[in-house]
Amino acid sequence: MWFPAEFRMADAYKVIDHAYDAVVVGAGGSGLRATMGIAEAGLRTACITKVFPTRSHTVAAQGGIAAALGNMGPDHWTWHMYDTVKGSDWLGDQDAIEYLCREAPAAVYELEHYGVPFSRTADGRIYQRAFGGMTQNMGEGPAAQRTCAAADRTGHAMLHALYQQSLKHDADFFIEYFAIDLIMVDGACRGVVAICMEDGSIHRFRAHAVVLATGGYGRAYFSATSAHTSTGDGGGMVLRAGLPLQDMEFVQFHPTGIYGAGVLITEGARGEGGYLTNAAGERFMERYAPSAKDLASRDVVSRSMAQEIREGRGVGREGDHIFLHLDHIDPKILAERLPGISETAKIFAGVDVTRQPIPVVPTVHYNMGGIPTNYWGEVVTLKDGDPDTVVPGLFAVGEAACVSVHGANRLGSNSLIDLVVFGRAAAKRIGATVAPMSALPPLPKDAADLAISRVDALRHSRGGSPTAQIRLAMQKTMQANCGVFRDQEILDEGTRKIDAVYQQMADIGISDRSLVFNTDLIEALELDNMIGQAVVTMHAARNRTESRGAHMREDFPTRDDETWMVHSIGWFRDGRVTLGTRPVHTRTLTDEVAYIKPKARVY
Amino acid sequence: MATAFKSATGLKRVRGLGSAHAGAHHWWLQRATAAGNLLLGLWFAASLVFLPDLSRQTVLQWLAAPVNAIPMLLLVLSTAWHMRLGVQVMIEDYVAAPGSRRLLLLLLDLYAVAIAATSLFAILRIALGVVPGGVPNG
Amino acid sequence: MATFTLPANSRVTGQGKSYPAPAGAKRTKTFRIYRWSPDSGENPRYDRYTIDLDDCGPMVLDALIKIKGEVDSTLTFRRSCREGICGSCAMNIDGANTLACTKAIEDVKGEVRITPLPHMEVVKDLVPDMTHFYAQYASIKPWLQTATPTPNLKERLQAPEDRAKLDGLYECILCACCSTSCPSYWWNGDRFLGPAILLQAYRWLADSRDEATGERLDALEDPFRLYRCHTIMNCATVCPKGLNPAKAIAEIKKMMLERA
Repeated sequence: MWFPAEFRMADAYKVIDHAYDAVVVGAGGSGLRATMGIAEAGLRTACITKVFPTRSHTVAAQGGIAAALGNMGPDHWTWHMYDTVKGSDWLGDQDAIEYLCREAPAAVYELEHYGVPFSRTADGRIYQRAFGGMTQNMGEGPAAQRTCAAADRTGHAMLHALYQQSLKHDADFFIEYFAIDLIMVDGACRGVVAICMEDGSIHRFRAHAVVLATGGYGRAYFSATSAHTSTGDGGGMVLRAGLPLQDMEFVQFHPTGIYGAGVLITEGARGEGGYLTNAAGERFMERYAPSAKDLASRDVVSRSMAQEIREGRGVGREGDHIFLHLDHIDPKILAERLPGISETAKIFAGVDVTRQPIPVVPTVHYNMGGIPTNYWGEVVTLKDGDPDTVVPGLFAVGEAACVSVHGANRLGSNSLIDLVVFGRAAAKRIGATVAPMSALPPLPKDAADLAISRVDALRHSRGGSPTAQIRLAMQKTMQANCGVFRDQEILDEGTRKIDAVYQQMADIGISDRSLVFNTDLIEALELDNMIGQAVVTMHAARNRTESRGAHMREDFPTRDDETWMVHSIGWFRDGRVTLGTRPVHTRTLTDEVAYIKPKARVY
Repeated sequence: MATAFKSATGLKRVRGLGSAHAGAHHWWLQRATAAGNLLLGLWFAASLVFLPDLSRQTVLQWLAAPVNAIPMLLLVLSTAWHMRLGVQVMIEDYVAAPGSRRLLLLLLDLYAVAIAATSLFAILRIALGVVPGGVPNG
Repeated sequence: MATFTLPANSRVTGQGKSYPAPAGAKRTKTFRIYRWSPDSGENPRYDRYTIDLDDCGPMVLDALIKIKGEVDSTLTFRRSCREGICGSCAMNIDGANTLACTKAIEDVKGEVRITPLPHMEVVKDLVPDMTHFYAQYASIKPWLQTATPTPNLKERLQAPEDRAKLDGLYECILCACCSTSCPSYWWNGDRFLGPAILLQAYRWLADSRDEATGERLDALEDPFRLYRCHTIMNCATVCPKGLNPAKAIAEIKKMMLERA
């Protein structure tokens, strides 16, 4: 780390100490659910968040939250489990997937009890819609209507309800505090260091448990549906703490991001009957997925779209996008069930969905990979040959984590359920293992030094590369070299390029030296968090010589269970990536459901 | 200043002294008196228009009749009350210091009562025949 | 509270900096942006940034991000979702409060003047202090309150017609565009809850599942908390989500009357 001339030690920054039983970093869906749960268990709880909770990216989730409630027809959690395993291309850990699907209905009812304004059926129950990859009867039956929806604003409704609940509970919120680094002592997490954006003071939080609920790093790509704040800060902290990230090569492209703007159009649009067409006006998904058609899983639809565009059947002047049709749907249904995207399409594509198709293109949407955890949310690592070694005191939930329930490809509406189920699971685990108000071991004197030195170095950085310039180079590289279709050549070039972008970090320079709401500094810290994950993603993608889920290698077009039925894990130290593997759990949690054996994945 | 130290929590400041559990009545009365003003005002204007002339004698005679005096009493009550309620809102809107606000509201009350009492007294005098020329042969 | 004189350091004085368009730009637009940092000790100023529209996204937020990325990285503003659902980038653009991310640049004639949300304390540049607004939100107990035991492993039932009553209410994103456009909130924001919070208050009054209607009305019945609304209607005019807080407030007043 380069230290500037003005470098001063901790005394130049006002350092304030806090002690809690548990600290949650992030206030999106999973962070708030964890915060609430821990506070409910009677523990002293703090939640640190860089934005006001309702600004978190969960708010932008549209289509819904999957749970086998069976309100619209027959359903069972084991069917949900089968679909999730198949969706994950068998890379998901089946014990965790069982936990997710079994707990899902209770978690959704809980949300309803919190006041989420779910849309309703005629008899007053929660309305559920069809979503990609969701079927009845272990993949044998027709599409299942499993996705519980509040119109097309489910994430908004849910996040607001969770924030409202957290106002009820006795948790301390540190809003517009940016977490910088974990405090690690002898391989255990003892707390976290954050900077208060309003005045630049440094806060050291001591805690028995730290929960990272920091979301994905979608903004490592040039065109993403993710919010500007989706910079995967937890992943960056974990890498700096010397811990690995898992399955980073699996990046989901959502089939329907608005062309140009990258803004999301929910899969629920297709769940309500929408369909895709190419330049010939053909419903091409019938060719690629004869049975599920437009409701095949996302990796399949995105790939099919990219293929159509590649073969010259894209629409528009450049032939570089696809049309999504909703114009055949009754305008009343659109107004009731898809009001949000109707408005979004109007604003960002200038399209009246009742009359015109929406121009869409596959857009980066979700990171299946992240911080490896078990189904309790405890962070695990490969240590001394044990792939399930728990890192004491450290938890991860939500998109930041890789439990792994989504494996190589996440099904739509499985993300929101992941947030609440595992947010709750982590809270339960912490409630069961941490004694309220128990004494915290003292921190070493230098606990905040790494964090402060990083902040100080960036704040006074005078290099020739502004944050935005390096960020753009990273985003363009990821977009061009780690996209829907990959092969050795493109990934070799990608690794070279992304390593070069990382080298450029040494030359970063920012202009705002202030301590008050210094977003120039925050964006530099965010970039510092993203770049490591981008590098690991590219290297892991180059390393995995098979095609599975969202990871499509044209030079290795088939799934290779023999070699690659493993999670890849990657460390990032001193600018170098070290890769390894962890076995996929081939066991279920209980005897109530048998291990679902791998087979060909056809929709 | 955003960064200045404030010892009370945000919620403490928002909750303040709590709800006054009042306001609905005030709000309704303001609308009710507005309706009263409108009806009675129209009646008053129309009456003046239809008077043969606006000489003192004619007007006094008109006002002395119970069928005119009673609505007139009501008009005074309604407008005074409405004025009292409306100006109260303006004072509350624009005068922040609790002391000055309270004082102004008190002055407003006195003013409204004085206006109303004076007008009522005048109308009653006319209607009850105390003013010469009002009540015929009075 | 109503004060009619501004603190000495709040007046916009002095000449700001001007940043010209890049050479060769054909279609340009100038953004005149409010700048203030507490560190400088100086009064606020307007800086002028002229940018090339052919090299910029269509929304005002795209321009702000371009300016921060390529021209002046000290420019400070909040942003997150960039699709009008998170409510971070609320600011005053061309004289009206709105979200920078859904406001098209071409909808503004001439220079684009951008200031923070009106009548809020400024933390820095376009970042207002929202603490009081959020505390007001917390004060209305914005969560489902019930006395009837919660059904076990079942949802509370709600007829579609009852659910429809929440439409136009639950979609609020707490951006504060409405409240900070309300003159009554300018003068008495310390005690008046303002349109955003009252809309939220009505969201719970209108929810067929909530059993605390009386208590909620009790807490709202106050000359300042509720009745400072003088139906000026700026709230409904500016709401970037097309909601109508004034109507929600009218509904609350109707409920007050009904129980009086």
